[in-house]
Amino acid sequence: MTNTKADIKAVSNTARGNILAKLKAEVNGADYDKLPKEIPYDYPEFSREENLAQFISELEKNHAQVIKTTKDNMAEVISEQLAALNITKLLYGDNDAHREIINALNSKIESQVYDFSIDNNKEMLFNECPAALSSSRCSIAATGSIVLWPDENEPRSLSLVPPVHFVIVDANKLHADFASLITAQQWQDKLPTNVVLISGPSKTADIQQTLAYGAHGPKALIVLLINI
Amino acid sequence: MKHIIEEESKYAASAKAFRANVTRDLGNEELRSNFRGAMDYLMDKRKGAFSSEEELEVLREQCKLIKQRCLAKLPHLLEQLEGNLEKNGIKVHWAETITEANEIIAQLIAQKKGKSVVKGKSMVSEETALNDYLEERNVECLESDMGEYIVQLAKEHPSHIIMPAIHQNKKQVAKLFADNIEGFEYSTDVDTLIQQGREVLRNKFCQADVGISGVNFAVAETGTLCLVENEGNGRMCTTIPDLHIAITGIEKVIEHLADVPPLLSLLTRSATGQAISTYFNMINSPRKPGEKDGPQEVHLVLLDNGRSQAFADEELRQTLQCIRCGACMNHCPVYTRIGGHAYGTVYPGPIGKMISPHMLGLEATTNLPTASTLCGACGEVCPVKIPIPKILLRLRQESVKPKSQQPEVMKGQGAGRNNVEALIWKVWAQVHKSPKFYALSMWGLTRFRFLMPKKLGGWTSVRTAPKPAAATLHERINAKQKKAKQEKQSQHGRG
Repeated sequence: MTNTKADIKAVSNTARGNILAKLKAEVNGADYDKLPKEIPYDYPEFSREENLAQFISELEKNHAQVIKTTKDNMAEVISEQLAALNITKLLYGDNDAHREIINALNSKIESQVYDFSIDNNKEMLFNECPAALSSSRCSIAATGSIVLWPDENEPRSLSLVPPVHFVIVDANKLHADFASLITAQQWQDKLPTNVVLISGPSKTADIQQTLAYGAHGPKALIVLLINI
Repeated sequence: MKHIIEEESKYAASAKAFRANVTRDLGNEELRSNFRGAMDYLMDKRKGAFSSEEELEVLREQCKLIKQRCLAKLPHLLEQLEGNLEKNGIKVHWAETITEANEIIAQLIAQKKGKSVVKGKSMVSEETALNDYLEERNVECLESDMGEYIVQLAKEHPSHIIMPAIHQNKKQVAKLFADNIEGFEYSTDVDTLIQQGREVLRNKFCQADVGISGVNFAVAETGTLCLVENEGNGRMCTTIPDLHIAITGIEKVIEHLADVPPLLSLLTRSATGQAISTYFNMINSPRKPGEKDGPQEVHLVLLDNGRSQAFADEELRQTLQCIRCGACMNHCPVYTRIGGHAYGTVYPGPIGKMISPHMLGLEATTNLPTASTLCGACGEVCPVKIPIPKILLRLRQESVKPKSQQPEVMKGQGAGRNNVEALIWKVWAQVHKSPKFYALSMWGLTRFRFLMPKKLGGWTSVRTAPKPAAATLHERINAKQKKAKQEKQSQHGRG
């Protein structure tokens, strides 16, 4: 163990200088205006119905459960699903839209708002939260992806740690593909701490190419699709 | 201040043993059947993932140009990335060598008094042998990708960059779990095995104080670290522990956020035939005030380890276009037969043969560029159009160049040079430059063909020795033409 005292700041600074100097020596004087034009593939345009059908079919292919519902029916749908799964507790993000749904849930279901810091609460989050409800920002038809934009009210782990994840998706916020979504919303100007695209329940094919669901994240992804 | 004493990569010795490794693994029937099955599966998946040949070709050309643009601007993009990450609150560290990278990470962990690390899949941390380094310093390091977890339990290293445990079948995994996990009852049911892994690893996520991950794309424009994964372990490692350290190679930086969608689309489809991975995770900053989870500190370690050497040569620079999809190994007839471990390097298959010589030097990797039939499949499927066979030929040249020839393009130049072989080719070239010499040598070769030895080293171990013909092609054609002429003349004579 000869290295324990090396000053990593100095090491990093020297490395930075050396690496950048080597690279710059090679690209010195390069004319970036003369780079060849990059031509993207021209995907056909689809109607709203076609995009919706594609979105649902991709999600279902990836073992997500898609339930078409309405804002008013949502509490009932969630109650039914939880009952079928034998789950009596639901963790949810702290916002007004959710509170309405939570209040309308079957009285047997205990609800818990995610208003605590994860520090010192990890055991509880991992072991005592069997299901969670989150919202979504928008979604992508081509790949059946749901875009989550976590914030202080809807923490990142809400959609990750509980084994069952209910997510509300608004059909009016469906985009054709990832590229057009980034452009339409100008993501490069402002990104939150974390963005995540979710396209199904957690899975793996690491053992003999056999697909198994529920690797580390949610075993079930239940999509509540509204405003169809 | 003490300086870091560079340790040699443990992979240098195993890469040197390439030929012995190949003999060992070719004789292992179970291993060969595991690879055959897996490669057939992955090739099939990729084939079904593109709507048309045209879409695939347009995307490949576009992504090749994106990566070439980003490489052309590499030093500037690295500076921009660093600036934006720091602005977002992510600390950036630079390392020229694997030991520097390991030491930086070890000290970051020590500063936080970290004792237990969970790791998302990171081939770069395999490259630096980070687990060994941390374990020597009493930090427990647990791989959390299911495949990596299996490989770690078996005390092996990944045999494939996307599917690390592809060399094991479910019976082998079941036995491994039964031998190593207390209370696990032997079962070959894959769901049962995965649920067992899930249980062990979720406990670890809950307790770990450090998460380490790789990076698939680092976006300079926004200071974003992108991670592609299916299992959720990458999200766990980067969300639950208090400290997140990401490590990646300097070639992973891309310029714009808009560069992500085409690259991501080609990456997942080329790798496993998926339209997109289950999770695409974009990390921009540590936990902000008011947020309830996420790491308090995020660090990125940028590693060179030979990449700047590849960068310095225009042809070899294309090696750095690689987005690590693994399609080249899935389609490689050599990889499929010898498997991932025979190469002895972290990155196996065609990409490994191209990149490892820069990381380990040509002395340790002399054999790798020659372990190719040059069938061209790797180049044809490469999503960023790296001309892999051409680069392998170039590496073969670098490996047999005179050691003293300047400029030295690669570390270990001339390591594969054999003076007898060099002399033979020199004579061969001379003979072919002069028609007289050529005719004379051909005459000698055909007339003294009985002197041809029956045994020609490795060549005749599985083949018969070539035997020169009794006369050269020229002589035979001349003789034939002469004969035809004579026949014609005699016909005229009769007429």
